[in-house]
Amino acid sequence: MKRKSLVLLIAVFCCSSVAYAHHSFALFDRSKLTTLSGTVREWKWANPHTWLTVVVRKADGADEEWALVGSSPNMMSRWGWNAADIKVGDKVVVDIHPARDGKTIGELHTVFLTDGKVLADPGGQTGEALAGGPANLPAKPQGEPYK
Amino acid sequence: MKRVPAYALRNEAAPIRCACVCSLVALVVMAQPGDARAAAVPQSKEQQAKAWRDIAALPDFWQGTWQSVSPIADDFPTPPDYTSAALSYIKDYKPVEDSPFTNCKPLGLPFAMNIGGMPMKFFQSPGMIALYIESSGMTRFIHTDGREHSERPNPTYLGESIGHWEGDTLVVDTLGFAPDTLFQMGKLDKKTLAQGDPSPLAGVIFGSHGPNLRLVERMRLADFNTLEIQTTIYDDSVFKKPYSLPPRRFIRGIERRNESQEWACTDNRDYLDPNGKLEYNVKDKAQSR
Repeated sequence: MKRKSLVLLIAVFCCSSVAYAHHSFALFDRSKLTTLSGTVREWKWANPHTWLTVVVRKADGADEEWALVGSSPNMMSRWGWNAADIKVGDKVVVDIHPARDGKTIGELHTVFLTDGKVLADPGGQTGEALAGGPANLPAKPQGEPYK
Repeated sequence: MKRVPAYALRNEAAPIRCACVCSLVALVVMAQPGDARAAAVPQSKEQQAKAWRDIAALPDFWQGTWQSVSPIADDFPTPPDYTSAALSYIKDYKPVEDSPFTNCKPLGLPFAMNIGGMPMKFFQSPGMIALYIESSGMTRFIHTDGREHSERPNPTYLGESIGHWEGDTLVVDTLGFAPDTLFQMGKLDKKTLAQGDPSPLAGVIFGSHGPNLRLVERMRLADFNTLEIQTTIYDDSVFKKPYSLPPRRFIRGIERRNESQEWACTDNRDYLDPNGKLEYNVKDKAQSR
């Protein structure tokens, strides 16, 4: 871990070690948020992790496939997610934690659906937050737009 | 509740079935305590009703579910008194770079109690308390019928658990573990760790437990919404004397959100190749996350 992100990481992780049990801790940079806009290619609702595959059309017209890992259906359903919320072909806007090495993969943070529904991934939240349900959902994406 | 051997409890059958009971008693007396072949006697309706009334007054572990609010890894605030074998293992130990449980293999005890993220649920019926650990999809069966441990319990991920109440504290004694249950034997000195390591497993020393691993868990309600579980580890291949961990805490969830769900782990071999391409259900490639 680089020192420059230490402060933010402490803020993010000091109280949040409960819910990353089955996740890798190395692949994604949880100090960063990137916003993707794209079309759903696949939505796999399965334990231990969900996977959302999104096709993103870049500014130069090229299509890029992003594989985004979420936390477990068990945890997500407790935070208001439903397997039927997302269908192949849907347009979505997604805030993700990007890969450290720049690959087109990420960890789900928040999904914004076209009907206005906002779904936050409970991964990394405290036990109190998991038991209490989502709070203070963002109205709009918070990440750095990906072009 | 006083600990009474199981065979003593079974001798309460109604006199009207004397002939049958006499022969069963003979069988029971011959059987060793904790022997799975020991004869079990069906309880009468009245006996069963009384048994349910008796357990109804026990501390309320039963409403809702319990969500861990403790970190995944155990803290070892007092340095354990390690055996020389453990000390030499720790001397050469390299911390795991990543989660050791990104697959679906059962963790077993003791670590299955640590995972959290998904709540646990207690159930009870006369003679047994069950604890469903959703994050592993496994249920612990804690015998409260006064039995003794089996002489030769077969190794299992959750071991053989026998519980009894000491006042308001449920004391659970467990042994008979499979050799590959995930075992944390300590924590590295903070000074040796990379600064700002985001992993909740930073500094955790995982290792093998010994064949005599035995856990004694003391479970009690600190208040209606808080369950505390304090575990003492007996393992003479790792610790010279039993090590008492600080209590872990769980909060009660009553809302439907917190109800138990199935956990069917689908082998978790989603594999991202070096180009970031995703494959599902891969069983023979190394994990990349």
